[in-house]
Amino acid sequence: MSDITRRSFLKATAWIAGGITIAFSARYAMEKSVAVGPTLEFPNTESGKGWLQIQSDGKVHMLCPRMEMGQNANTGLAQIVAEELNIRVEDITLHYPTTSETAPIGFTAGSLSMMLFSKPVAIAAASMRENLRCRAAKIYKIPVDEVLDTEGGFVIIGSPRLGYQDLVTDESIELDCEDSVIPNLYTFDPRRIKKQVGQEAEPRGIKDLVTGAAVFSGDIQLPGMLYGRVIKPPVRKARLKNLNLLSAKNIIGFFDIVRDGDFVGVVCRTPGSLDKAVRSVIVEWELPEPINQEKINQLIDINVALQDGDLPRTVQDENHSPSANWDVDLEFAVQLQTHAMQEPRAAVAHIEKINDIERINIWTGTQDPWAVKRHCASDIGFSEDQVEVHPMRMGGGFGGREHYEVEQDAARLALATGLPIKVQWTREDEFRVGRNRSPSSHRMRLASDHKGVLSNWWHAYASGYVFYSRSRLPDWLLPIKRSTAGGDFGVSRGAHPAYKSSSIRVEYKEVDLPIDLGVWRSLNGAPNTFVIESTMDELARQKSIDPVKFKLMNLPDSMARLGNCLKRVEKMASGKLLPTKSGYGRGFACGVYEKNSFVAVSVDLHIDHEARKICIDRMCCAQDVGMAINPDQLRAQIESNLVWSIGMALMEKVEIGDGQIASNNFHNYIIPRMSDIPELNIDVIDNPTIHPAGAGEVALIAGSPAIANAIRDATGLRLTRLPIKYTDITVPGAL
Amino acid sequence: MVSLFERITELTFNGPDMNLFINGTERVINGVWEEETLLSVLREYFGLIGTRFGCGKGLCGSCTVHVDGEPVRSCITSVNNIAGTSVLTIEGLQQDSEKLHPLQQAWIDERVPQCGYCHSGQIMQAWGLLSKTSNPTEEQINAFMDSVLCRCGTYDRIKKAILRAAVMLQQSSDTHV
Ligand code: FES
Ligand code: FES
Repeated sequence: MSDITRRSFLKATAWIAGGITIAFSARYAMEKSVAVGPTLEFPNTESGKGWLQIQSDGKVHMLCPRMEMGQNANTGLAQIVAEELNIRVEDITLHYPTTSETAPIGFTAGSLSMMLFSKPVAIAAASMRENLRCRAAKIYKIPVDEVLDTEGGFVIIGSPRLGYQDLVTDESIELDCEDSVIPNLYTFDPRRIKKQVGQEAEPRGIKDLVTGAAVFSGDIQLPGMLYGRVIKPPVRKARLKNLNLLSAKNIIGFFDIVRDGDFVGVVCRTPGSLDKAVRSVIVEWELPEPINQEKINQLIDINVALQDGDLPRTVQDENHSPSANWDVDLEFAVQLQTHAMQEPRAAVAHIEKINDIERINIWTGTQDPWAVKRHCASDIGFSEDQVEVHPMRMGGGFGGREHYEVEQDAARLALATGLPIKVQWTREDEFRVGRNRSPSSHRMRLASDHKGVLSNWWHAYASGYVFYSRSRLPDWLLPIKRSTAGGDFGVSRGAHPAYKSSSIRVEYKEVDLPIDLGVWRSLNGAPNTFVIESTMDELARQKSIDPVKFKLMNLPDSMARLGNCLKRVEKMASGKLLPTKSGYGRGFACGVYEKNSFVAVSVDLHIDHEARKICIDRMCCAQDVGMAINPDQLRAQIESNLVWSIGMALMEKVEIGDGQIASNNFHNYIIPRMSDIPELNIDVIDNPTIHPAGAGEVALIAGSPAIANAIRDATGLRLTRLPIKYTDITVPGAL
Repeated sequence: MVSLFERITELTFNGPDMNLFINGTERVINGVWEEETLLSVLREYFGLIGTRFGCGKGLCGSCTVHVDGEPVRSCITSVNNIAGTSVLTIEGLQQDSEKLHPLQQAWIDERVPQCGYCHSGQIMQAWGLLSKTSNPTEEQINAFMDSVLCRCGTYDRIKKAILRAAVMLQQSSDTHV
């Protein structure tokens, strides 16, 4: 650890202000060994109580426990509070806490919000209601059960209505609910006719989003603020080989360069001068390993992996017989994909001194503000209570905003210059440092009897790491994590068969790839379901059995909810006749995400030879995630997932050039546009007696295989390499 | 948040100022900011943060504003090329302080936004369409809106909201006749 004191450090920064480049002695060089895990404080039955308040005017306030990135989870939680308190959701004021305003709350990811937060929030609100009911009973000296619910308060027969404001005084009281049993939760009471839950509440903040008033982290402006950017290497852990900063300093508006080892930051007075200065920096990196597409393909080649015998990890292994009489035997390649959230990451950092104590404030859109806080503290040598993170609304997350990154750029530059700094990543930065979804290579074999009853299942695949990738953990921690017994559950996500078969082997190999990988919507759920559902479809067609019938026949009783989705989507699809012309096709796929979210998708498409395009005409989707708290927002998530499935099946691929990621903006990483979107028919299945499960990454898993299956229907070609291009269909030998 | 105006003045250099009419008001830009893109000037100089940065290369449409009535990508528009023009941003779209612009209202009615980041650009682009084509077909909408990306995939609702706004605009122009 560097022993430089804060004082001498400040002196050094004063020197920097002269525009001279110095390598300031870095006490944060220790970062290399710091591992800050995600925030895992998920709520228990008590936690919700800290998030609710009724003030003496009777108004209800809620601290939002979820970070907002378009999923509108807090609107759903507010609906629950409204249901419990017999008020309207619009009457609840929402507050977004900073990291010092509440105890740490588990990160926002994995579509856990409704699953883990709905009940604690309901308990908190119901406890509040029952406590107030007791007060009313005391005032009127009557038994509690004679105090009846009414909108915004209670009624007692023969007395005037009591609003909550009549029962709350100015003194602050913390609810003591320890002795109380969990009160009746209206939200989860199947007999109750609900007024808020199950309704289409308007998403919070929607007006600000359409008037431009919504504030994202890049919108923060502070007096004296400057613009900074850190030069990004082609992959993390690359070393700086050559650096020439001379011409940057001649740019009008240039302010400073902050350099420490491989960390090179440029600070300018305007965004445009910053662009110019950064462009003029000449830099050369030394990569830990060369990167090219061929090498990556070799590293994950499943057939090479299988040459060494069994793969190191198994998901399921029962009565495996490798030499079974396989009816289908397919190889799949799933591409490297990135988040490409619409808002490139941005952060503003500012160090202030209050009573001689320094504090850093960081404004950022993050899925895990408390991890940012902890990591920042250890990075810049502050104690945790000297760091305050102000979480901002995010312009999309999708798993891409879980780390301390753009915040680090801003914090270090603010520390070095002593000035407020805004760091806005460019789109090119996003592509360079995105922790992408790994490519994977699969081989899947199936056999059934002549009636189509599955007998043998063998799915083997190789994929880069998801959670334990190089770019997510420090080097010393990698071997420890990678040797844990369970394997990387990001890689195995979605590999469990939903179908029954007397012999099953699902095995995989995690590969250490020399590119930055990480968590992407559904983890490997979408790739694995793509493989499974394509192979199942192929087997059905080879046995001349209707694919939907074939799947239904092979689902165990425990998968009744999945079967129901499939039946409903089939019915929806059949509501429109598919043109009998050649080149038109319909495909189906279904899947289970994380045990409790069920989905089925159908796709109608045609091949447009004139436009040289695969045109998706219609997608139907039936999804069952249990109780539908806000059906409209569930529908919105389904729409989003279906759009992503089109991108995954037909468009998106991060290109790898020589030595680095070659895709760097939207001209060479193609995502869906409006004209790519078909007619969407969506059936949100409400299962009010079943606890809500995640919905943010469900329909994606079934969308892309349904597209591939529809292409098979239209053309007879089984295409197994994503993304599928028009040229895969016309070029002879594309199979 | 504070206006950046004060601190900016210290950065100015001698030289002629340039003018822009932003949302109907004449504004002066000077010094080093004349070298900036319209996007930076709007956001960082005038604090009009509703115009968003998405790609910086004219590829995503998040930064769309109108210059003299035409939708342009402000991230690739240099202010010194548009001196004297009229710029309309999302903040200036609403004419009636009591009522949102029909497109904004339709966006709320159809519950369009997810993360919401792209929608200033979407709405400004859509206004580029509806201000000239009052009754667009679905094909016209697709063709005109195709250059504005929405990573959350709200396209289906965007289309519905444009059609809804077209009806609202039609109705209000009928009542004015
Ligand atoms: S930010 Fe201007 S087009 Fe993307
Ligand atoms: S709503 Fe998120 S990018 Fe459009």
